[in-house]
Amino acid sequence: MNQKNKTEISRRSFLQVTAGAIMLSGISLPESANAAKSEGLATIIDLSLCDGCVNRKIPACVSICKEINKNKIPLPVEPIPEPWPRKMIEDWSKKQEVFDRLTPYNFIYVHRAEVNFAGRKKTIYVPRRCMHCENPPCATICPFSANHKFKNGAVVINQNQCFGGAKCRDVCPWEIPQRQSGVGIYLHVLPGFMGNGVMYKCDLCFDRINQGQLPGCIEACPREALLIGAKKVIQAVALERVRRMKGYIYGMEQNGGTSTLYISPVPFEEINKTMTKKSGQPDIKMNVPRRMAGTDPLGKMVLAAPVLGLAAAGAAGAWKWFSRRKEKMNKKEGENG
Amino acid sequence: MAEKILTQKNLVVRHSTVELIEHWAIAVSGLVLLMTGIFELPVAKRYYIITIPGLGWTADFITSLYLHYSAALVFTAAAVFHVVYHTARGEFGLLPRKGDFSASIAVIKSMFGFGEEPPMPKYLPEQRLAYAGMAFSILMLIISGLVKTYKNIYAPDISHTVVLWTTWIHNIFFVLFFLAFLAHMAAIALKPNWPLVRGIFTGRVRLAYARHRHPLWLADIEQKSGGTEIDKTGQAAGVETQQENAPSTREKRR
Repeated sequence: MNQKNKTEISRRSFLQVTAGAIMLSGISLPESANAAKSEGLATIIDLSLCDGCVNRKIPACVSICKEINKNKIPLPVEPIPEPWPRKMIEDWSKKQEVFDRLTPYNFIYVHRAEVNFAGRKKTIYVPRRCMHCENPPCATICPFSANHKFKNGAVVINQNQCFGGAKCRDVCPWEIPQRQSGVGIYLHVLPGFMGNGVMYKCDLCFDRINQGQLPGCIEACPREALLIGAKKVIQAVALERVRRMKGYIYGMEQNGGTSTLYISPVPFEEINKTMTKKSGQPDIKMNVPRRMAGTDPLGKMVLAAPVLGLAAAGAAGAWKWFSRRKEKMNKKEGENG
Repeated sequence: MAEKILTQKNLVVRHSTVELIEHWAIAVSGLVLLMTGIFELPVAKRYYIITIPGLGWTADFITSLYLHYSAALVFTAAAVFHVVYHTARGEFGLLPRKGDFSASIAVIKSMFGFGEEPPMPKYLPEQRLAYAGMAFSILMLIISGLVKTYKNIYAPDISHTVVLWTTWIHNIFFVLFFLAFLAHMAAIALKPNWPLVRGIFTGRVRLAYARHRHPLWLADIEQKSGGTEIDKTGQAAGVETQQENAPSTREKRR
Protein backbone atom coordinates (compact mmCIF):
# COMPACT_ATOMS: atom_id res chain seq x y z
CA MET A 1 0.00 0.00 0.00
CA ASN A 2 2.81 2.30 0.95
CA GLN A 3 4.49 1.40 -2.31
CA LYS A 4 1.33 2.26 -4.23
CA ASN A 5 1.00 5.64 -2.57
CA LYS A 6 4.57 6.52 -3.30
CA THR A 7 4.12 5.55 -6.89
CA GLU A 8 1.08 7.72 -7.27
CA ILE A 9 2.89 10.62 -5.66
CA SER A 10 5.71 10.12 -8.09
CA ARG A 11 3.34 10.30 -11.00
CA ARG A 12 1.45 13.34 -9.77
CA SER A 13 4.61 15.22 -8.94
CA PHE A 14 6.06 14.37 -12.23
CA LEU A 15 3.03 15.62 -14.09
CA GLN A 16 3.35 18.93 -12.29
CA VAL A 17 6.77 19.59 -13.72
CA THR A 18 6.45 18.09 -17.13
CA ALA A 19 3.78 18.11 -19.77
CA GLY A 20 2.75 16.09 -22.76
CA ALA A 21 1.13 12.75 -23.22
CA ILE A 22 4.43 11.10 -24.06
CA MET A 23 5.53 11.71 -20.53
CA LEU A 24 2.54 9.96 -19.06
CA SER A 25 3.93 6.60 -19.88
CA GLY A 26 6.83 4.80 -18.34
CA ILE A 27 7.97 7.28 -15.73
CA SER A 28 8.54 6.12 -12.18
CA LEU A 29 5.79 3.55 -12.47
CA PRO A 30 6.60 0.00 -11.53
CA GLU A 31 4.07 -1.33 -14.03
CA SER A 32 5.38 0.76 -16.88
CA ALA A 33 8.96 0.09 -15.92
CA ASN A 34 8.13 -3.58 -15.91
CA ALA A 35 6.55 -3.36 -19.33
CA ALA A 36 9.59 -1.50 -20.63
CA LYS A 37 11.99 -4.16 -19.37
CA SER A 38 12.45 -5.73 -22.77
CA GLU A 39 13.11 -2.45 -24.58
CA GLY A 40 15.34 -1.03 -21.88
CA LEU A 41 15.01 1.34 -18.99
CA ALA A 42 16.80 4.58 -18.23
CA THR A 43 16.91 6.93 -15.29
CA ILE A 44 17.06 10.67 -14.76
CA ILE A 45 18.99 12.29 -11.93
CA ASP A 46 17.76 15.87 -11.85
CA LEU A 47 20.32 18.00 -10.03
CA SER A 48 17.94 20.96 -10.02
CA LEU A 49 15.73 18.96 -7.64
CA CYS A 50 18.24 17.06 -5.51
CA ASP A 51 18.97 18.88 -2.24
CA GLY A 52 21.29 16.23 -0.87
CA CYS A 53 18.78 15.55 1.94
CA VAL A 54 20.67 18.12 4.05
CA ASN A 55 18.18 17.72 6.86
CA ARG A 56 18.99 14.02 7.20
CA LYS A 57 22.05 12.32 8.54
CA ILE A 58 22.31 10.17 5.42
CA PRO A 59 20.64 11.07 2.11
CA ALA A 60 17.46 9.05 1.53
CA CYS A 61 18.75 7.37 -1.62
CA VAL A 62 21.93 6.25 0.14
CA SER A 63 20.05 5.14 3.22
CA ILE A 64 17.54 2.92 1.41
CA CYS A 65 20.24 1.48 -0.85
CA LYS A 66 22.20 0.43 2.22
CA GLU A 67 19.08 -1.03 3.76
CA ILE A 68 18.15 -3.03 0.65
CA ASN A 69 21.67 -4.42 0.19
CA LYS A 70 22.68 -4.84 3.82
CA ASN A 71 22.68 -8.64 3.71
CA LYS A 72 24.02 -8.98 0.21
CA ILE A 73 27.67 -9.62 1.04
CA PRO A 74 28.46 -12.72 3.11
CA LEU A 75 30.91 -12.41 5.99
CA PRO A 76 34.48 -12.46 4.65
CA VAL A 77 36.62 -15.37 5.75
CA GLU A 78 39.11 -14.74 8.54
CA PRO A 79 41.89 -14.26 7.78
CA ILE A 80 41.37 -13.06 4.23
CA PRO A 81 43.83 -14.96 1.98
CA GLU A 82 46.74 -12.79 0.95
CA PRO A 83 46.99 -12.60 -2.84
CA TRP A 84 50.36 -13.47 -4.36
CA PRO A 85 52.61 -11.84 -5.39
CA ARG A 86 51.00 -8.40 -5.16
CA LYS A 87 49.42 -8.24 -1.74
CA MET A 88 46.33 -6.12 -2.16
CA ILE A 89 43.50 -7.02 0.15
CA GLU A 90 40.50 -4.68 -0.01
CA ASP A 91 38.37 -5.19 3.06
CA TRP A 92 35.44 -2.87 3.75
CA SER A 93 33.61 -5.27 6.03
CA LYS A 94 34.62 -3.31 9.14
CA LYS A 95 33.75 0.04 7.55
CA GLN A 96 30.30 -0.77 6.27
CA GLU A 97 28.89 2.49 7.61
CA VAL A 98 30.93 4.64 5.17
CA PHE A 99 28.52 6.58 2.94
CA ASP A 100 30.57 9.41 1.42
CA ARG A 101 32.11 7.29 -1.33
CA LEU A 102 31.45 4.07 -3.23
CA THR A 103 32.38 0.91 -1.36
CA PRO A 104 31.25 -2.72 -1.67
CA TYR A 105 28.73 -1.82 1.02
CA ASN A 106 27.70 1.54 -0.44
CA PHE A 107 26.53 1.65 -4.06
CA ILE A 108 25.51 5.34 -4.12
CA TYR A 109 26.78 8.51 -2.45
CA VAL A 110 26.01 12.20 -2.85
CA HIS A 111 28.72 14.68 -3.79
CA ARG A 112 28.28 18.29 -2.66
CA ALA A 113 29.50 20.83 -5.21
CA GLU A 114 29.90 24.56 -4.49
CA VAL A 115 29.77 26.09 -7.91
CA ASN A 116 30.31 29.64 -9.17
CA PHE A 117 28.18 30.07 -12.23
CA ALA A 118 26.86 33.20 -13.97
CA GLY A 119 28.16 35.33 -11.13
CA ARG A 120 26.28 33.38 -8.48
CA LYS A 121 27.29 30.78 -5.96
CA LYS A 122 25.22 27.67 -6.10
CA THR A 123 25.26 24.39 -4.21
CA ILE A 124 24.62 21.33 -6.32
CA TYR A 125 24.21 17.82 -4.96
CA VAL A 126 25.24 14.98 -7.26
CA PRO A 127 24.16 11.42 -6.43
CA ARG A 128 26.81 9.11 -7.90
CA ARG A 129 26.38 5.45 -8.77
CA CYS A 130 26.84 3.13 -11.75
CA MET A 131 25.78 4.82 -15.00
CA HIS A 132 24.51 1.53 -16.55
CA CYS A 133 26.16 2.21 -19.91
CA GLU A 134 24.63 1.29 -23.27
CA ASN A 135 27.60 -0.90 -24.14
CA PRO A 136 29.40 -1.32 -20.84
CA PRO A 137 33.05 -2.37 -21.15
CA CYS A 138 32.92 -3.67 -17.56
CA ALA A 139 30.43 -6.31 -18.70
CA THR A 140 31.52 -7.03 -22.26
CA ILE A 141 35.10 -7.89 -21.37
CA CYS A 142 34.54 -9.53 -17.99
CA PRO A 143 36.68 -12.69 -18.42
CA PHE A 144 34.05 -14.87 -16.74
CA SER A 145 30.93 -13.01 -17.91
CA ALA A 146 30.00 -12.54 -14.27
CA ASN A 147 29.08 -8.98 -15.19
CA HIS A 148 26.28 -8.65 -17.72
CA LYS A 149 24.02 -6.06 -19.24
CA PHE A 150 20.41 -7.22 -19.29
CA LYS A 151 17.63 -6.33 -21.70
CA ASN A 152 16.15 -3.93 -19.18
CA GLY A 153 19.37 -1.91 -19.26
CA ALA A 154 20.68 -2.92 -15.84
CA VAL A 155 24.35 -3.89 -15.69
CA VAL A 156 24.58 -6.54 -13.01
CA ILE A 157 27.50 -8.36 -11.39
CA ASN A 158 26.63 -11.90 -10.33
CA GLN A 159 28.44 -12.23 -7.02
CA ASN A 160 28.46 -16.02 -7.32
CA GLN A 161 30.43 -15.89 -10.58
CA CYS A 162 32.77 -12.97 -9.94
CA PHE A 163 36.44 -13.65 -9.07
CA GLY A 164 37.13 -10.06 -8.02
CA GLY A 165 39.95 -9.40 -10.46
CA ALA A 166 38.74 -5.79 -10.70
CA LYS A 167 39.08 -5.70 -14.47
CA CYS A 168 35.63 -4.08 -14.55
CA ARG A 169 36.90 -1.24 -12.36
CA ASP A 170 39.95 -0.77 -14.58
CA VAL A 171 37.90 -0.41 -17.77
CA CYS A 172 35.12 1.70 -16.24
CA PRO A 173 35.78 5.38 -16.99
CA TRP A 174 34.38 6.21 -13.56
CA GLU A 175 35.96 3.21 -11.76
CA ILE A 176 32.61 2.43 -10.17
CA PRO A 177 32.80 -1.26 -9.07
CA GLN A 178 34.34 -1.81 -5.64
CA ARG A 179 36.02 -4.94 -4.34
CA GLN A 180 35.44 -6.89 -1.17
CA SER A 181 38.18 -9.44 -0.59
CA GLY A 182 37.62 -12.65 1.33
CA VAL A 183 34.25 -13.52 -0.22
CA GLY A 184 33.20 -15.33 -3.37
CA ILE A 185 34.01 -18.26 -5.59
CA TYR A 186 37.76 -17.57 -5.76
CA LEU A 187 38.05 -18.91 -2.21
CA HIS A 188 37.18 -22.37 -3.58
CA VAL A 189 39.67 -22.30 -6.48
CA LEU A 190 43.16 -20.86 -5.97
CA PRO A 191 42.68 -17.96 -3.56
CA GLY A 192 46.37 -17.13 -3.31
CA PHE A 193 46.96 -17.02 -7.06
CA MET A 194 43.71 -16.22 -8.83
CA GLY A 195 40.97 -13.75 -7.97
CA ASN A 196 40.70 -11.54 -4.93
CA GLY A 197 37.06 -11.33 -3.85
CA VAL A 198 33.93 -10.02 -5.49
CA MET A 199 33.18 -6.71 -7.23
CA TYR A 200 30.09 -4.84 -6.11
CA LYS A 201 28.14 -1.93 -7.53
CA CYS A 202 24.60 -0.68 -8.12
CA ASP A 203 22.50 -3.20 -10.06
CA LEU A 204 19.58 -0.81 -10.52
CA CYS A 205 17.75 -2.96 -7.96
CA PHE A 206 17.49 -5.68 -10.56
CA ASP A 207 15.44 -8.01 -8.36
CA ARG A 208 13.04 -5.26 -7.31
CA ILE A 209 12.47 -4.23 -10.94
CA ASN A 210 11.76 -7.86 -11.84
CA GLN A 211 9.19 -7.91 -9.04
CA GLY A 212 7.54 -4.80 -10.44
CA GLN A 213 9.02 -2.45 -7.85
CA LEU A 214 11.02 0.73 -8.26
CA PRO A 215 14.74 0.90 -7.55
CA GLY A 216 15.17 1.90 -3.91
CA CYS A 217 16.84 5.26 -4.56
CA ILE A 218 14.05 6.32 -6.92
CA GLU A 219 11.33 5.21 -4.56
CA ALA A 220 12.92 6.91 -1.54
CA CYS A 221 13.86 10.28 -3.04
CA PRO A 222 11.63 12.80 -1.26
CA ARG A 223 12.05 15.38 -4.02
CA GLU A 224 11.48 13.09 -7.01
CA ALA A 225 14.93 13.99 -8.26
CA LEU A 226 15.36 10.48 -9.57
CA LEU A 227 13.06 8.96 -12.18
CA ILE A 228 12.97 5.74 -14.14
CA GLY A 229 11.12 4.69 -17.26
CA ALA A 230 11.36 3.48 -20.82
CA LYS A 231 14.60 4.75 -22.30
CA LYS A 232 13.05 6.71 -25.18
CA VAL A 233 10.59 8.42 -22.87
CA ILE A 234 13.26 9.22 -20.30
CA GLN A 235 15.51 10.68 -22.96
CA ALA A 236 12.65 12.83 -24.28
CA VAL A 237 11.79 14.00 -20.77
CA ALA A 238 15.44 14.76 -19.94
CA LEU A 239 15.89 16.83 -23.07
CA GLU A 240 12.64 18.66 -22.43
CA ARG A 241 13.67 19.50 -18.86
CA VAL A 242 17.07 20.68 -20.04
CA ARG A 243 15.37 22.89 -22.62
CA ARG A 244 13.01 24.37 -20.04
CA MET A 245 15.67 25.11 -17.47
CA LYS A 246 18.23 26.11 -20.12
CA GLY A 247 20.34 23.50 -18.45
CA TYR A 248 22.85 20.82 -19.24
CA ILE A 249 22.79 17.06 -19.70
CA TYR A 250 25.31 14.35 -18.89
CA GLY A 251 25.23 10.68 -19.83
CA MET A 252 23.77 10.83 -23.34
CA GLU A 253 27.14 10.68 -25.09
CA GLN A 254 29.61 9.72 -22.37
CA ASN A 255 31.19 6.29 -22.76
CA GLY A 256 29.09 5.75 -25.89
CA GLY A 257 25.84 6.59 -24.10
CA THR A 258 24.48 5.52 -20.74
CA SER A 259 21.14 4.71 -19.18
CA THR A 260 21.63 7.42 -16.55
CA LEU A 261 20.95 10.99 -17.57
CA TYR A 262 22.03 13.78 -15.24
CA ILE A 263 20.37 17.12 -15.88
CA SER A 264 21.67 20.25 -14.25
CA PRO A 265 21.10 24.02 -14.24
CA VAL A 266 24.88 24.54 -14.24
CA PRO A 267 27.48 23.18 -16.66
CA PHE A 268 29.01 19.85 -15.73
CA GLU A 269 32.45 21.33 -16.37
CA GLU A 270 31.81 23.57 -13.35
CA ILE A 271 30.62 20.65 -11.23
CA ASN A 272 33.63 18.62 -12.32
CA LYS A 273 35.94 21.36 -11.04
CA THR A 274 34.72 20.52 -7.53
CA MET A 275 35.56 16.84 -7.94
CA THR A 276 38.92 15.22 -7.56
CA LYS A 277 38.87 11.72 -8.92
CA LYS A 278 39.75 9.38 -6.07
CA SER A 279 39.15 5.74 -5.32
CA GLY A 280 35.39 5.37 -4.91
CA GLN A 281 34.78 9.02 -5.83
CA PRO A 282 34.45 9.42 -9.59
CA ASP A 283 34.69 12.72 -11.44
CA ILE A 284 32.12 13.91 -13.97
CA LYS A 285 34.28 15.12 -16.84
CA MET A 286 32.55 15.69 -20.16
CA ASN A 287 35.01 13.97 -22.45
CA VAL A 288 34.51 10.26 -21.78
CA PRO A 289 35.05 8.31 -25.00
CA ARG A 290 34.04 4.67 -25.22
CA ARG A 291 37.50 3.23 -25.60
CA MET A 292 36.25 -0.09 -26.94
CA ALA A 293 34.67 1.75 -29.89
CA GLY A 294 38.16 1.93 -31.38
CA THR A 295 38.29 -1.86 -31.51
CA ASP A 296 34.90 -2.21 -33.22
CA PRO A 297 36.16 -1.91 -36.84
CA LEU A 298 38.71 -4.66 -36.17
CA GLY A 299 36.03 -6.74 -34.48
CA LYS A 300 33.81 -6.38 -37.55
CA MET A 301 36.71 -7.60 -39.69
CA VAL A 302 37.03 -10.62 -37.39
CA LEU A 303 33.35 -11.37 -37.97
CA ALA A 304 34.03 -11.21 -41.71
CA ALA A 305 37.17 -13.38 -41.44
CA PRO A 306 35.41 -16.66 -42.39
CA VAL A 307 34.33 -15.05 -45.67
CA LEU A 308 37.88 -13.78 -46.18
CA GLY A 309 39.24 -17.30 -45.66
CA LEU A 310 36.69 -18.72 -48.06
CA ALA A 311 37.55 -16.15 -50.72
CA ALA A 312 41.27 -16.77 -50.28
CA ALA A 313 40.73 -20.53 -50.63
CA GLY A 314 38.72 -19.93 -53.81
CA ALA A 315 41.44 -17.67 -55.20
CA ALA A 316 44.22 -20.13 -54.31
CA GLY A 317 42.26 -23.02 -55.82
CA ALA A 318 41.63 -21.09 -58.99
CA TRP A 319 45.28 -20.10 -59.24
CA LYS A 320 46.37 -23.73 -58.81
CA TRP A 321 43.86 -24.86 -61.44
CA PHE A 322 45.02 -22.32 -63.99
CA SER A 323 48.69 -23.08 -63.29
CA ARG A 324 48.11 -26.78 -63.81
CA ARG A 325 46.11 -26.16 -66.96
CA LYS A 326 48.85 -23.95 -68.34
CA GLU A 327 51.45 -26.57 -67.47
CA LYS A 328 49.45 -29.26 -69.24
CA MET A 329 49.00 -27.10 -72.31
CA ASN A 330 52.70 -26.28 -72.44
CA LYS A 331 53.49 -29.95 -72.11
CA LYS A 332 51.06 -30.82 -74.88
CA GLU A 333 52.55 -28.14 -77.12
CA GLY A 334 56.02 -29.51 -76.39
CA GLU A 335 54.94 -33.03 -77.29
CA ASN A 336 53.38 -31.81 -80.53
CA GLY A 337 56.69 -30.22 -81.39
CA MET B 1 50.47 -31.99 -55.43
CA ALA B 2 53.66 -30.32 -54.27
CA GLU B 3 55.16 -33.49 -52.85
CA LYS B 4 58.21 -34.42 -54.86
CA ILE B 5 61.38 -36.40 -54.42
CA LEU B 6 64.45 -34.29 -55.22
CA THR B 7 67.01 -37.06 -55.39
CA GLN B 8 69.92 -34.90 -56.48
CA LYS B 9 69.41 -32.62 -53.54
CA ASN B 10 68.71 -35.58 -51.28
CA LEU B 11 65.42 -33.99 -50.20
CA VAL B 12 61.69 -34.63 -50.33
CA VAL B 13 59.18 -31.80 -50.63
CA ARG B 14 56.82 -32.38 -47.73
CA HIS B 15 54.82 -29.14 -47.61
CA SER B 16 53.79 -26.75 -50.35
CA THR B 17 54.26 -22.99 -49.96
CA VAL B 18 50.53 -22.67 -49.33
CA GLU B 19 50.73 -25.20 -46.49
CA LEU B 20 53.71 -23.42 -44.95
CA ILE B 21 51.85 -20.09 -45.07
CA GLU B 22 48.78 -21.75 -43.48
CA HIS B 23 50.84 -23.32 -40.71
CA TRP B 24 52.75 -20.18 -39.82
CA ALA B 25 49.70 -17.94 -40.08
CA ILE B 26 47.87 -20.15 -37.59
CA ALA B 27 50.95 -20.65 -35.39
CA VAL B 28 51.95 -16.99 -35.10
CA SER B 29 48.40 -15.66 -34.76
CA GLY B 30 47.61 -18.49 -32.32
CA LEU B 31 50.56 -17.51 -30.15
CA VAL B 32 49.51 -13.86 -30.19
CA LEU B 33 45.97 -14.98 -29.26
CA LEU B 34 47.29 -17.06 -26.37
CA MET B 35 49.41 -14.21 -25.04
CA THR B 36 46.78 -11.50 -25.43
CA GLY B 37 44.13 -13.90 -24.13
CA ILE B 38 46.19 -14.24 -20.95
CA PHE B 39 46.49 -10.45 -20.79
CA GLU B 40 42.69 -10.20 -20.98
CA LEU B 41 42.82 -11.69 -17.49
CA PRO B 42 43.79 -9.30 -14.69
CA VAL B 43 47.28 -10.76 -14.34
CA ALA B 44 49.68 -8.15 -15.71
CA LYS B 45 49.58 -5.85 -12.69
CA ARG B 46 49.19 -8.58 -10.11
CA TYR B 47 52.16 -10.58 -11.39
CA TYR B 48 54.31 -7.50 -12.12
CA ILE B 49 54.40 -8.32 -15.84
CA ILE B 50 54.06 -4.60 -16.48
CA THR B 51 57.45 -4.03 -14.88
CA ILE B 52 59.17 -6.09 -17.60
CA PRO B 53 60.63 -3.67 -20.16
CA GLY B 54 58.41 -3.51 -23.24
CA LEU B 55 55.42 -5.10 -21.52
CA GLY B 56 54.01 -2.00 -19.85
CA TRP B 57 50.99 -2.18 -22.17
CA THR B 58 49.90 -5.59 -20.89
CA ALA B 59 47.72 -4.15 -18.12
CA ASP B 60 45.68 -2.19 -20.67
CA PHE B 61 42.87 -4.56 -21.62
CA ILE B 62 41.80 -2.45 -24.61
CA THR B 63 45.30 -2.55 -26.14
CA SER B 64 45.30 -6.33 -25.65
CA LEU B 65 41.90 -6.46 -27.33
CA TYR B 66 43.25 -4.64 -30.42
CA LEU B 67 45.99 -7.25 -30.67
CA HIS B 68 43.59 -10.11 -29.91
CA TYR B 69 41.22 -9.03 -32.68
CA SER B 70 44.11 -8.53 -35.14
CA ALA B 71 45.39 -12.04 -34.48
CA ALA B 72 41.85 -13.48 -34.53
CA LEU B 73 41.35 -12.05 -38.00
CA VAL B 74 44.38 -13.96 -39.35
CA PHE B 75 43.64 -17.08 -37.27
CA THR B 76 40.01 -17.39 -38.35
CA ALA B 77 40.67 -16.65 -42.03
CA ALA B 78 43.59 -19.12 -42.11
CA ALA B 79 41.56 -21.86 -40.39
CA VAL B 80 38.65 -21.46 -42.83
CA PHE B 81 41.10 -21.36 -45.73
CA HIS B 82 42.72 -24.57 -44.48
CA VAL B 83 39.45 -26.48 -44.27
CA VAL B 84 38.02 -25.28 -47.59
CA TYR B 85 41.23 -25.50 -49.60
CA HIS B 86 42.19 -29.01 -48.55
CA THR B 87 38.65 -30.33 -48.68
CA ALA B 88 38.32 -29.05 -52.23
CA ARG B 89 41.59 -30.76 -53.14
CA GLY B 90 40.61 -34.00 -51.43
CA GLU B 91 43.60 -33.86 -49.08
CA PHE B 92 42.61 -35.69 -45.92
CA GLY B 93 45.95 -37.22 -44.90
CA LEU B 94 45.86 -35.52 -41.49
CA LEU B 95 42.47 -36.89 -40.48
CA PRO B 96 42.60 -39.72 -37.91
CA ARG B 97 42.13 -43.26 -39.14
CA LYS B 98 41.00 -46.45 -37.50
CA GLY B 99 43.75 -47.90 -35.35
CA ASP B 100 45.61 -44.60 -34.89
CA PHE B 101 45.37 -44.75 -31.14
CA SER B 102 47.09 -48.15 -30.75
CA ALA B 103 49.56 -47.27 -33.52
CA SER B 104 50.42 -44.05 -31.66
CA ILE B 105 51.27 -46.00 -28.56
CA ALA B 106 53.59 -48.25 -30.60
CA VAL B 107 55.29 -45.19 -32.13
CA ILE B 108 55.74 -43.44 -28.80
CA LYS B 109 57.12 -46.63 -27.23
CA SER B 110 59.59 -46.98 -30.10
CA MET B 111 60.81 -43.42 -29.47
CA PHE B 112 61.89 -44.53 -26.03
CA GLY B 113 63.61 -47.66 -27.33
CA PHE B 114 60.78 -50.15 -26.90
CA GLY B 115 60.20 -51.99 -30.15
CA GLU B 116 60.55 -50.91 -33.77
CA GLU B 117 58.54 -48.12 -35.32
CA PRO B 118 56.35 -49.54 -38.09
CA PRO B 119 56.74 -48.06 -41.62
CA MET B 120 54.83 -44.78 -41.78
CA PRO B 121 52.94 -42.81 -44.40
CA LYS B 122 53.39 -39.01 -44.57
CA TYR B 123 51.86 -38.35 -41.19
CA LEU B 124 52.38 -40.34 -38.02
CA PRO B 125 49.27 -41.67 -36.25
CA GLU B 126 49.84 -39.44 -33.22
CA GLN B 127 50.19 -36.48 -35.55
CA ARG B 128 46.76 -37.26 -36.95
CA LEU B 129 45.24 -37.59 -33.47
CA ALA B 130 46.95 -34.39 -32.32
CA TYR B 131 45.68 -32.63 -35.43
CA ALA B 132 42.10 -33.70 -34.67
CA GLY B 133 42.39 -32.46 -31.09
CA MET B 134 43.97 -29.18 -32.12
CA ALA B 135 41.47 -28.67 -34.95
CA PHE B 136 38.53 -29.23 -32.63
CA SER B 137 39.95 -26.78 -30.06
CA ILE B 138 40.47 -24.21 -32.80
CA LEU B 139 36.93 -24.73 -34.10
CA MET B 140 35.45 -24.19 -30.64
CA LEU B 141 37.66 -21.16 -29.99
CA ILE B 142 36.66 -19.60 -33.29
CA ILE B 143 32.93 -20.19 -32.87
CA SER B 144 32.86 -18.93 -29.28
CA GLY B 145 35.19 -16.07 -30.16
CA LEU B 146 32.93 -14.94 -32.99
CA VAL B 147 29.91 -14.94 -30.66
CA LYS B 148 31.85 -12.92 -28.07
CA THR B 149 32.98 -10.45 -30.74
CA TYR B 150 29.43 -10.04 -32.00
CA LYS B 151 28.28 -9.42 -28.43
CA ASN B 152 31.04 -6.85 -27.86
CA ILE B 153 30.05 -4.83 -30.90
CA TYR B 154 26.36 -5.29 -31.50
CA ALA B 155 24.62 -7.00 -28.61
CA PRO B 156 25.98 -6.50 -25.09
CA ASP B 157 22.54 -7.50 -23.80
CA ILE B 158 22.15 -10.88 -25.54
CA SER B 159 21.03 -13.76 -23.36
CA HIS B 160 23.25 -14.18 -20.31
CA THR B 161 23.00 -17.95 -20.73
CA VAL B 162 24.46 -17.70 -24.24
CA VAL B 163 27.20 -15.38 -22.98
CA LEU B 164 28.10 -17.70 -20.11
CA TRP B 165 28.26 -20.75 -22.40
CA THR B 166 30.42 -19.01 -25.00
CA THR B 167 32.70 -17.50 -22.36
CA TRP B 168 33.33 -20.80 -20.62
CA ILE B 169 33.76 -22.68 -23.91
CA HIS B 170 36.28 -20.01 -24.92
CA ASN B 171 38.08 -20.23 -21.57
CA ILE B 172 38.17 -24.04 -21.43
CA PHE B 173 39.37 -24.43 -25.01
CA PHE B 174 41.90 -21.68 -24.42
CA VAL B 175 43.44 -23.91 -21.75
CA LEU B 176 43.23 -26.99 -24.01
CA PHE B 177 44.76 -25.06 -26.92
CA PHE B 178 47.58 -23.93 -24.65
CA LEU B 179 48.17 -27.54 -23.54
CA ALA B 180 48.05 -28.68 -27.17
CA PHE B 181 50.66 -26.04 -28.02
CA LEU B 182 52.90 -27.31 -25.21
CA ALA B 183 52.45 -30.89 -26.44
CA HIS B 184 53.32 -29.73 -29.97
CA MET B 185 56.54 -28.19 -28.65
CA ALA B 186 57.27 -31.30 -26.59
CA ALA B 187 56.94 -33.45 -29.72
CA ILE B 188 59.61 -31.35 -31.40
CA ALA B 189 61.90 -31.93 -28.46
CA LEU B 190 61.91 -35.69 -29.15
CA LYS B 191 64.96 -36.61 -31.23
CA PRO B 192 63.18 -38.82 -33.83
CA ASN B 193 61.06 -35.79 -34.76
CA TRP B 194 63.92 -33.33 -35.23
CA PRO B 195 64.16 -33.88 -39.02
CA LEU B 196 60.55 -32.68 -39.32
CA VAL B 197 61.47 -29.25 -37.90
CA ARG B 198 63.39 -28.46 -41.06
CA GLY B 199 60.28 -29.43 -43.02
CA ILE B 200 58.01 -26.90 -41.38
CA PHE B 201 60.47 -24.08 -42.11
CA THR B 202 61.61 -25.01 -45.63
CA GLY B 203 58.88 -27.41 -46.75
CA ARG B 204 61.53 -30.12 -47.38
CA VAL B 205 62.87 -33.01 -45.33
CA ARG B 206 65.93 -35.16 -45.96
CA LEU B 207 65.35 -38.08 -48.29
CA ALA B 208 67.26 -40.45 -46.01
CA TYR B 209 64.94 -39.56 -43.13
CA ALA B 210 61.83 -40.01 -45.26
CA ARG B 211 63.12 -43.31 -46.60
CA HIS B 212 63.83 -44.54 -43.10
CA ARG B 213 60.66 -43.34 -41.38
CA HIS B 214 58.01 -42.64 -44.04
CA PRO B 215 58.54 -45.32 -46.71
CA LEU B 216 54.80 -45.58 -47.35
CA TRP B 217 54.73 -41.88 -48.15
CA LEU B 218 57.63 -42.15 -50.62
CA ALA B 219 55.96 -45.12 -52.27
CA ASP B 220 52.82 -43.07 -52.57
CA ILE B 221 54.66 -40.15 -54.19
CA GLU B 222 56.35 -42.45 -56.65
CA GLN B 223 53.15 -44.14 -57.58
CA LYS B 224 51.32 -40.83 -58.12
CA SER B 225 54.16 -39.24 -60.07
CA GLY B 226 54.65 -42.35 -62.15
CA GLY B 227 58.37 -41.69 -61.93
CA THR B 228 58.12 -38.61 -64.11
CA GLU B 229 59.25 -36.15 -61.49
CA ILE B 230 62.12 -38.27 -60.29
CA ASP B 231 65.46 -38.44 -61.98
CA LYS B 232 67.08 -41.70 -62.93
CA THR B 233 68.75 -42.22 -59.57
CA GLY B 234 65.58 -41.32 -57.82
CA GLN B 235 63.59 -43.85 -59.81
CA ALA B 236 66.00 -46.54 -58.78
CA ALA B 237 65.68 -45.53 -55.15
CA GLY B 238 61.93 -45.24 -55.51
CA VAL B 239 61.56 -48.68 -56.98
CA GLU B 240 63.63 -50.02 -54.17
CA THR B 241 61.42 -48.43 -51.57
CA GLN B 242 58.25 -49.39 -53.37
CA GLN B 243 59.27 -53.01 -53.60
CA GLU B 244 60.18 -53.13 -49.95
CA ASN B 245 56.90 -51.69 -48.83
CA ALA B 246 54.48 -52.68 -51.51
CA PRO B 247 52.31 -54.87 -49.24
CA SER B 248 51.95 -52.07 -46.68
CA THR B 249 50.95 -49.61 -49.37
CA ARG B 250 48.28 -51.90 -50.67
CA GLU B 251 47.08 -52.51 -47.16
CA LYS B 252 46.79 -48.78 -46.50
CA ARG B 253 44.74 -48.19 -49.63
CA ARG B 254 42.43 -51.08 -48.90
